[in-house]
Amino acid sequence: MDANGQARAARHAPGGSGQGRDLFASLRSGPFGGPTPAVAVLLVLMPFALPSSTMATEILIFATATLACNLLLGYGGLLSFGQAIFFGSGAYLSSLTMMRLGAGLLPALLVAVVAGAVSAALVGALSVRRTGIYFVMMTLAFNQTAYFIAYTLSDWTGGDNGLLDVPRPPLALFGVTLADLSSATAYYVFTAVIFLLIFIAVRRVIASPFGSTLIAVRENEARALALGYDTRNFKIAAFAVSGAMTSLSGALYAMLLNFAPLENIQLSMSENIVIMTVIGGTGSLLGSLLGAGAWVIVSDMLAEIWPRWLILTGGALILIVLFLRGGLWGGVESLMRRFGGGVPYAADGASDAAGPPAQPVE
Amino acid sequence: MLYLFQVLNGLGLGMIYFLISAGLTIIFGLLNFVNFAHGAFFMLGGYLCWSLTELTGNFWISLLTGPPLVAFLAWAAEVTLIRRIYRLPHTFHILVTVGIALILQETTIMIWGPIGKSIPVPDGLQGVVKLWNFTYPTYRLFLIAFTSLIGFALWYLLERTRFGGLVRAGSESAEMVALLGTNIHRLFARTFALGVGLAGLAGTLSAPIRGIHPFMGPEVLGIAFVVVVIGGMGSFTGALLGGLLVGLVQSLMSTLWPEGASLMIYGTMAAVILLRPYGLFGRA
Repeated sequence: MDANGQARAARHAPGGSGQGRDLFASLRSGPFGGPTPAVAVLLVLMPFALPSSTMATEILIFATATLACNLLLGYGGLLSFGQAIFFGSGAYLSSLTMMRLGAGLLPALLVAVVAGAVSAALVGALSVRRTGIYFVMMTLAFNQTAYFIAYTLSDWTGGDNGLLDVPRPPLALFGVTLADLSSATAYYVFTAVIFLLIFIAVRRVIASPFGSTLIAVRENEARALALGYDTRNFKIAAFAVSGAMTSLSGALYAMLLNFAPLENIQLSMSENIVIMTVIGGTGSLLGSLLGAGAWVIVSDMLAEIWPRWLILTGGALILIVLFLRGGLWGGVESLMRRFGGGVPYAADGASDAAGPPAQPVE
Repeated sequence: MLYLFQVLNGLGLGMIYFLISAGLTIIFGLLNFVNFAHGAFFMLGGYLCWSLTELTGNFWISLLTGPPLVAFLAWAAEVTLIRRIYRLPHTFHILVTVGIALILQETTIMIWGPIGKSIPVPDGLQGVVKLWNFTYPTYRLFLIAFTSLIGFALWYLLERTRFGGLVRAGSESAEMVALLGTNIHRLFARTFALGVGLAGLAGTLSAPIRGIHPFMGPEVLGIAFVVVVIGGMGSFTGALLGGLLVGLVQSLMSTLWPEGASLMIYGTMAAVILLRPYGLFGRA
């Protein structure tokens, strides 16, 4: 949590008070403004504040998956228990392109992005035929489907043993090697750049007409439909975007571990991603980073000494629903309102201003 | 003969799925609440069956005491926690019950260990029944008969008793039932306990056939969701026919294509959704 504390302080400096605020306000609306510089600073600080850059990499990978889940839940009001479908297929497909076709890093990641978008559009297209609780149940059932597919295709996925010896090729473009990623630090830098680009892209998506429509669907689907928006297609598109991001993070995770375990595509992975999103705070992009960070750090601290630490996340979910529905970031915000006078980036995205987290329209 | 064998297996399995899904559906119907911990309570039913059988040496005692214990736990959870969140949107119901499921799963591992267990088929039902040249395990026949009996009792409870009348009236309008002088809190708590108790009963009954392990909750939950997506949430008949359909598909496929048997369950769901988006018996 040290890193977050530092980042918060760093973020406060320019926008806290005085003349700096005007300049800052003008930056706020663009994708490069608002929290983006603060996130960039945080990304630089993270490997120094954490025990290892591998851990920092893991946080960013899960933060990417959490951002994708948040895009659906926090902005679209779509609770998906199928995110592991995309996470797992990204891990498997990128690894297989590298291992069987000898593809390089970028083609493998591209395969993951495309496969994630396509599979998510497919799952989305089937699931959005129903709304509300049925929708959630179907995403869960499709996750089970994907799990059994991966389990059955053990020639390709390694089944229970997982896919071993996943390579981490150097970053190369048109045959020119740009960087060797075999060291933990180099891989962190690569992941951090990708995360920052995705963070900016998501901010851009949310600020776009597409994002506003998505939020409108969340707030009142019937009204959005009456206004002439094809809400189903918007939801499917949101799924595709989210799936592409999740799949990319799955691919990065396989390269981090040099291993693609079956757990990647299990329902529990979907649960974990949802839990990170909710603990961090739905509808807030910084919350996603916070949620993934909290998850990875706590699991790293506790997994060794107490393998049953997951019981705490169960308790945390219940406590968050009862007392802190905005998640950790919501808690940070309300503390800032009370003591700091203002909330940074309050105008950032629709839901920060909206207060309580998103809820699907029943 | 092989097919008759698998059809009977499918019926037994299907009735287990029916009990689980009926519990889910009854809770949803009255309380408008989605219980994502349903699979975890099913698992708990299996583990209580194991412990009680170890303790007393008698399966029948554990069948009589295990499911009520699960129901009691569910009642306690309703009274202390779940009734506080009814007014929140479904997303929060799901998050809280996912939390409960995680707590149950991890507690189970702490108490009983991470490795699965098997439960012996109870005394008196161990052999096979012979009809002409066809043999079938006695316990599985008992399972079909007993679950049918439970299904009938459940139908009677819901359709012919005052309690059932209140549950059905409450499903239409809980507010009106409360205004007419029924203690709706008590009714909700009892219905939640009943629904979860059915999952516990299903867990107990299936334990001697399929064994138990701490991670069976999500799998069962997924199947229950398939059943209610196929049959329609809140529909008792839908849960019965959906459960039987899924059970039959799974057991017939396990002879035709063993690796893909579980996969075909979800394939069935996808097919139903494509052809009839609101399920076989669902209302829009």
